[in-house]
Amino acid sequence: MFRNTSSLIQPLVFFIIIALLFPFSLPAEGLLLQRIGGGVIWVSAVLATMLSLESMFHSDYQDGTLEQMLIHPRSLSLAMLGKALAHWTATGLILTLFSPLLCVTFNIPSEQIWVLFTGLLLGTPSLTLIGAIGAALTVTLRRGGVLIAIIILPLYIPILIFGAGMLTQVAQGLEVTSQLYALAAILALSITLAPFAIAGALRITIN
Amino acid sequence: MPNLKVISANNLSCVRGDNLLFEGVSFDVSEGQCLHVTGPNGCGKTSLLRLISGINQTETGCIKWQGANTNDNSLFLSECAYIAHKEGLKNELTAIENLRYYQQLDGINDELALDDTLAKLKILKCADLLAQQLSFGQRRRLSFARLLIAEFSLWVLDEPFTGIDTDGRELMESLCVNHLKSGGLIIMTHHQTLLDSPLNQYRSELQLGQA
Amino acid sequence: MNPITIIWNFLSNTYHRLGSPREFYTISRYTTPVFGALFLVLSLIGTYFGLFVAPADYQQGDSFRILFVHVPVAWMSLFVYVVMATAGAIGLIWRMKMAFVVTICSAPIGAAFTALALMTGSIWGKPIWGTYWVWDARLTSELILLFLYFGIMAVYYAFEDRKTAEKATALLSVVGVVIVPIIHYSVEWWSSLHQGVTVFAEGGPKMPPEMLLPLAFMAFGFMFFYGYALFLSMQNKVLDNERKSGWVRALVNNKEQQS
Repeated sequence: MFRNTSSLIQPLVFFIIIALLFPFSLPAEGLLLQRIGGGVIWVSAVLATMLSLESMFHSDYQDGTLEQMLIHPRSLSLAMLGKALAHWTATGLILTLFSPLLCVTFNIPSEQIWVLFTGLLLGTPSLTLIGAIGAALTVTLRRGGVLIAIIILPLYIPILIFGAGMLTQVAQGLEVTSQLYALAAILALSITLAPFAIAGALRITIN
Repeated sequence: MPNLKVISANNLSCVRGDNLLFEGVSFDVSEGQCLHVTGPNGCGKTSLLRLISGINQTETGCIKWQGANTNDNSLFLSECAYIAHKEGLKNELTAIENLRYYQQLDGINDELALDDTLAKLKILKCADLLAQQLSFGQRRRLSFARLLIAEFSLWVLDEPFTGIDTDGRELMESLCVNHLKSGGLIIMTHHQTLLDSPLNQYRSELQLGQA
Repeated sequence: MNPITIIWNFLSNTYHRLGSPREFYTISRYTTPVFGALFLVLSLIGTYFGLFVAPADYQQGDSFRILFVHVPVAWMSLFVYVVMATAGAIGLIWRMKMAFVVTICSAPIGAAFTALALMTGSIWGKPIWGTYWVWDARLTSELILLFLYFGIMAVYYAFEDRKTAEKATALLSVVGVVIVPIIHYSVEWWSSLHQGVTVFAEGGPKMPPEMLLPLAFMAFGFMFFYGYALFLSMQNKVLDNERKSGWVRALVNNKEQQS
């Protein structure tokens, strides 16, 4: 993946562009952007992750490596966990690292930047893992992109609610530990269960 | 005969959509034997190989390796290699990196063996080329090299001689013969006759699509 | 033989018979009309009691009566999802053909219940809340549920190979059922404008029996409607799936000779 640098940069550029569309589509008030900026960044992260999913298994399917993984004696679920985490480092992690920069352009106060950063760090791996189930289900289809969105976006709602909800809480001066725990719990669940679903989906669709 | 390696299939069938491709397919292949699957296009040759190698699950019947069912059988999976049209090579990696990847997946780390294998297949000079720069024939040879880096007993080969020159074909045939002589098993599809091939004396034929 | 063994044998026998498409078709020819009749009777009784016997609400007047449709269909929207996912799991684990048929035929019915719950909810919301839609927890959850149903249906129709489509659909419905409680909990946390739980609240229902009775009739009525619609749709699906098999051809030939 790292030989192909464009696949590394595309999700990041996409992420920033979506986030930058919002100021143009909203009334030019500094305060408004400051208030909704966190939510905008979350939505952009969700969309950028989702868009990167289609390519997750695509080249492996095309060149036959996926078949070879299917019949390798080592656990397919474990391989898929590794694959999803590798995919995350190239998408979700990079988005997270760049998010403070976007926050600055939205004039988001610094205590909220930290909350957003932690939230994204905990939330984006779950986005990738859950999304990978959709990617695995649609890998053999020629036009899987829209289908992935239909399948996966409803499943992303809890992560979005807790992640963006934290920012509202912080803005009102409230504690956010419970939402952080919720995100961490979702991550723990995704890490333990999603690999089996991904492996199962691949065994179903590849034939 | 202790530890004689044998794969036996009983009553396999394959349905695609509404079409029954084949049913009631049974065979036994043991050490030193080559099963040649023949039949017209679309009769399910590739599907059969994919059933055997475990990519697809059997709907009816069963496949046994050393008497044990091959489903989720890691012993079988570690002894079976499947080479198909899609070679399983990463375009972004060089030839030797591709090979190293598979070697390390099988828990081996032996650089000399990699060079050695590439030399055997006469593609040592392309070792540092990216896989996407290789010609079709070179890619076939590289995918064949995978068979030699770990000790697979059963080779499942889908049209192994397609798209390579006479020299390459002779090379691959001799590798197959060596494999059979040292007690290996081969199940392969090939649309041409193998009568004039050195593989012929080890060969038994399974014809699909007669019904 | 003790009675438990007899019941067990009966259940396992029925299960295995229903597992075969042909047996299912034969059995369902008799059960489907029964379900339909039960639905009609129960829902007519429920409607009568709901519209004419139950007293008007002291706050909401007569407009609350939509509850006798709204609440049962909202329950059914979740119930169908659970049935669908359970059947999907059974199909994947025990490779049972008919279980997949249950999953696939349930999805449109569940989606219809969900859409109905949303529609009746917003009709009810207009006089009570003064607006057709509010972003409250239950409405939002129900809307997400509708999209989950759409996703499952979309997956089924995306694959050309029927068996792949069936398994993929089943897998997605199982994944969904793991996530549905999380969605529900998160949406609940996110906002709650909706009135609290009234029927299954602690210390018994907070509803007078004259209202509870028609509600129960309607709930069971809709349950049988689900059974009726599911079996009809499954009969169709089974005939389509098995159209090349001998018994379906014989069936068609018989029909042709009769006409």
